[in-house]
Amino acid sequence: MSRAVLQVTGVSKSFGGLKAVQDFSLTLEPGSLCGLIGPNGAGKTTAFNLLTGVYRPDTGRVVLDGHDVVGLRPHRITRLGLARTFQNIRLFGELSVLDNVKLACHLRVGQTVLGAIARTLFHTAEERDITRRSMDLLSIFGLDSRAKEQAKSLAYGDRRRLEIARALATEPKVLLLDEPAAGMNPQEKKELRGLILTLRERFSASILLIEHDMGVVMTICERITVLDHGVIISHGTPTHVQNDPKVIEAYLGSAEAAHA
Amino acid sequence: MDQFLQAIQNSITTGSLYALIALGYTMVYGILKFINFSHSDVVVIGALFSTVLALTLLEKLGLQQAPWWLGGVVLAGAMALCATVSFLVERLAYRPLRQAPRLNCLITAIGVSLFLQNTGNQKFLFGTQPRKIPALVPDAEPLFMIGKVPFRLIDFIIVGTAVVLMVALDRLVFKSAMGRAMRAVSFDHKTASLMGINVDRVISMTFVLGACLAAAGGFLYALRYQTVTQPADTTWALLGLKAFVSAVVGGIGNIRGAVLGALIIASIENFGAAYLFSGLTDAYVFAVLIGMLLLRPGGILGSAAVEKV
Repeated sequence: MSRAVLQVTGVSKSFGGLKAVQDFSLTLEPGSLCGLIGPNGAGKTTAFNLLTGVYRPDTGRVVLDGHDVVGLRPHRITRLGLARTFQNIRLFGELSVLDNVKLACHLRVGQTVLGAIARTLFHTAEERDITRRSMDLLSIFGLDSRAKEQAKSLAYGDRRRLEIARALATEPKVLLLDEPAAGMNPQEKKELRGLILTLRERFSASILLIEHDMGVVMTICERITVLDHGVIISHGTPTHVQNDPKVIEAYLGSAEAAHA
Repeated sequence: MDQFLQAIQNSITTGSLYALIALGYTMVYGILKFINFSHSDVVVIGALFSTVLALTLLEKLGLQQAPWWLGGVVLAGAMALCATVSFLVERLAYRPLRQAPRLNCLITAIGVSLFLQNTGNQKFLFGTQPRKIPALVPDAEPLFMIGKVPFRLIDFIIVGTAVVLMVALDRLVFKSAMGRAMRAVSFDHKTASLMGINVDRVISMTFVLGACLAAAGGFLYALRYQTVTQPADTTWALLGLKAFVSAVVGGIGNIRGAVLGALIIASIENFGAAYLFSGLTDAYVFAVLIGMLLLRPGGILGSAAVEKV
């Protein structure tokens, strides 16, 4: 068994009396593509926030590529190789498409204030390199022709793809995608499926996907974890999960699910 | 005609000074969304420390006449001190309030301002006596005259230094990695940190940059007006306020807007003094502020979706 690139063990988080996520565990093997599903309010995005350092877990361990990342600030975790996209797109709308990607390439730039000033004065080679890398990324997503436009002027589907490009610019080992297919039409969803599979090959990143669209999740994910009310209720292959009575109950209207 | 030319000349010179100071207000607002009222006190430190440093260096070197490079050394020293003070202010006073409402930061800024003024007034620091900066540039005779209007070397130095610094800042903000990070942070702290940007470092950097420009503003102010008053003097408060008004008129949070606003405010002041009652120059400035807030609260370049910092 190969070493897990992301190992989450027994992570819990409460907000006041609300137990948002309880005893959440997950193992991501290198190069794997896993799904995280569950009804609205199940705690999927909270789980992402716990992994990326936006929230600090009350208990539990998160080990990313051998580093314990609990308590680290988000930018440190990103630098260790965890990148994400957002359910509600969070691009830097007033920056250009290219700048959105470029700024994510700068993980090792600007370590000190003086260093940053010095680099600004002598930055041309590095800058050229980053521009080239960013343009390469944009062309994978078919956005290279719009590099100079403001990010907010892009069409919805393009903005979603730009977010993925920006996340990849941080050179992640693990990529978390929060509902990448949300609001996409069937054709776009089909393209997205292809794109995610390509990304895994090309960037050899492990991908964890939150998605409501079962067509997307069931066809591309190897393993799926199902959350309901902050608790993992099922875990396994798409076929296993689809036939799990607990999953069916969570999704299809038991009295309990009505509160979700 | 002479009067007109003189007013133009004054507008450009004082406009450059206002711009250097206004940039610090606007950059901090762009990133943290509060007005750093202690910024004008950083200018004061720049002006007073330049004066003290110039006097000390001349004495230690045993020189009567300042060598040409002394101004550069003094400016660098003032920048270093102001950057340090501003860095510490951010680190100790503002960073603990990162999650607090913006109003708390504003009140804290006023507190920091009073603290810096009163500390600076102490005998062991700058004291309360006005000081006179030695002539660092040969300025006895004007370089040339157009009509009756003298063109002095010091004015060219002020404008030249300001332009160089502002071009450098513009390049840094719009062309460099750090600038991109600054623009990203001003847009959305949380997302920026999830892209691997160290938000706290970017904020420190913003304060340091603003302080360096403020130091230059203070230094050049001292060179032009020669007499430098005590830290708690109202001259400084007024200077800071006018720079702040410049930033608001240009569109607060917008770097190029701050420079534009500074030139506008300086023109209103100088042309008002030349052609209207000269005793009301300050009133003109604040009348323009009120008018701007009524008609276009975002400022000239504000909210018009120009890239912000």
